[in-house]
Amino acid sequence: MNSESPSPTSVSELPILDTNPDGQVRFKSQGGRLLLLLPPEPEGDTLPLPWSELWEQLKHRLNAGERFWQPRTTVHLLARNRLLDARQLQAIADVLSEADLALKRIYTSRRQTAVAAVTAGYSVDQHAPVTHLNQTASESGQALEDPLYVQSTIRAGVEIRHHGSVVILGDVNPGGSVVADGDILIWGRLRGLVHAGYGGNPDCRIMALRMDPTQLRIADKVARPPETPPEQYLPEIAYVGNDGIRIALAAEFPRLSSNA
Amino acid sequence: MTRIIVVTSGKGGVGKTTCTANLGMALAQREQRVAVLDADFGLRNLDLLLGLENRIVYTALDVLAGDCRMEQALVKDKRQPNLALLAAAQNRSKESITPEQTASLVAQLTDSFDYILVDSPAGIEMGFRNAIAAANEAIIVTTPEISAVRDADRVIGLLEANDVKKMQLIVNRLKPAMVQVQQMMSVQDVQDILAIPLLGVVPDDERVIVSTNRGEPLVLETKLSLAGLAFANVARRLQGEKVPFLDLNAPHDDLFVRLRRFLKG
Ligand SMILES: Nc1ncnc2c1ncn2[C@@H]1O[C@H](COP(=O)(O)OP(=O)(O)O)[C@@H](O)[C@H]1O
Ligand SMILES: [Mg+2]
Repeated sequence: MNSESPSPTSVSELPILDTNPDGQVRFKSQGGRLLLLLPPEPEGDTLPLPWSELWEQLKHRLNAGERFWQPRTTVHLLARNRLLDARQLQAIADVLSEADLALKRIYTSRRQTAVAAVTAGYSVDQHAPVTHLNQTASESGQALEDPLYVQSTIRAGVEIRHHGSVVILGDVNPGGSVVADGDILIWGRLRGLVHAGYGGNPDCRIMALRMDPTQLRIADKVARPPETPPEQYLPEIAYVGNDGIRIALAAEFPRLSSNA
Repeated sequence: MTRIIVVTSGKGGVGKTTCTANLGMALAQREQRVAVLDADFGLRNLDLLLGLENRIVYTALDVLAGDCRMEQALVKDKRQPNLALLAAAQNRSKESITPEQTASLVAQLTDSFDYILVDSPAGIEMGFRNAIAAANEAIIVTTPEISAVRDADRVIGLLEANDVKKMQLIVNRLKPAMVQVQQMMSVQDVQDILAIPLLGVVPDDERVIVSTNRGEPLVLETKLSLAGLAFANVARRLQGEKVPFLDLNAPHDDLFVRLRRFLKG
């Protein structure tokens, strides 16, 4: 690197605690800004998420949350140790601006990414590589994140993971999955696989307008739907009872749980 | 404006190439200038279904390499001069061409054609990405089987993420008798999951296989079979016409089934 190459500034602290390295792109609002968090590249021999998949996740999250963002909101990109070249940075900036969001600042621990970002005219913070605090992310003492609201159908091959509760405004199709540390609420048909209380909390619940799942999981419990589908579908709630996962009509659930 | 439509499915063997050949021919019969582009490198067979195999001299790769002009590589159909085929190279892998190159090929065709149909390979890897690179619409082909529908659902998600927003569905190889005894997913079952507009339903019909072997798309028949009619109707719907869906049940109907359908509304 010659002396003329732009030099990114350094910071020691990231705007948020880095607890989400599970291979997912996510948005998070903080102090009137939007943070765009990329999954870090794994250590060791594991391959990083390919750009095409990262891109598809980003588009999905954008489409699914767009309605809630104010126009011209500033976005800070937390790229962590992900290598991004100039073209990829441009692609991210472009897709954000299509959603009327403005990419302003980039946090990265990679010098090459930092250089590409500075050259493209963004403010850059190059920080030291983050040693992950994630191993204990869902153990005691970790507060859940704000609920994630997703307005989209979760199609086959798509997985939504979140360290908090998840609300899906749409269907979860066969082959799609949602994994949450909190509750899962599906305002639509549930036909895929969902796992609530992923961190181990058996008090978490799964709610769906139409409960027709491939499989339900709450904490360490697993349930499959009955072989014969019901006559009609009404909104239902799945919870952990004395003998594993139980399902109750939503309308009757408050009475059940107050008797318990 | 030229409509660039990718015909895709995720799963192999569900009828993408059959649909591309028949739709291409049907649109050409309707006075549209149509180019069909085989993006299934390594496993090309669109030329076979159209009966044009022995007329191919140059392929898309020759155009890209600058070894020939686009007009030389396009094979005009003798039966239907509105239809032209750009063949894939048979001896090359899907990785031998990039999405940018596919887009540049398509760009060279837009001035001379009203429709460009791109026949996609199976899978969601490079070959699929090549096929969708230039498309502004997609036709999703599926059979009424759980595995095919699952793959189609995945592909719809990928197309959405890649900004191909206009998507329509063809359900191929439907067997109405099996649907009636609930041994096969119905068109409604498929639509419940995929949730995109229905462009056509094509019955399972041995004549499709015969026409494949002869290199004569069904829509060329003088008296159209039900499957041929289904393809012709798809072409009309693509052009924006409102054409009612065929009643594929009719020949198998008995009073009981008809009554049940009536009661269901
Ligand atoms: N409606 C149909 N009825 C009967 N056979 C069909 C029908 N559609 C396709 N086929 C047969 O299925 C096989 C696969 O079709 P093809 O179009 O090559 O699929 P793909 O391009 O998706 O791999 C072929 O042998 C074809 O003749
Ligand atoms: Mg094919």
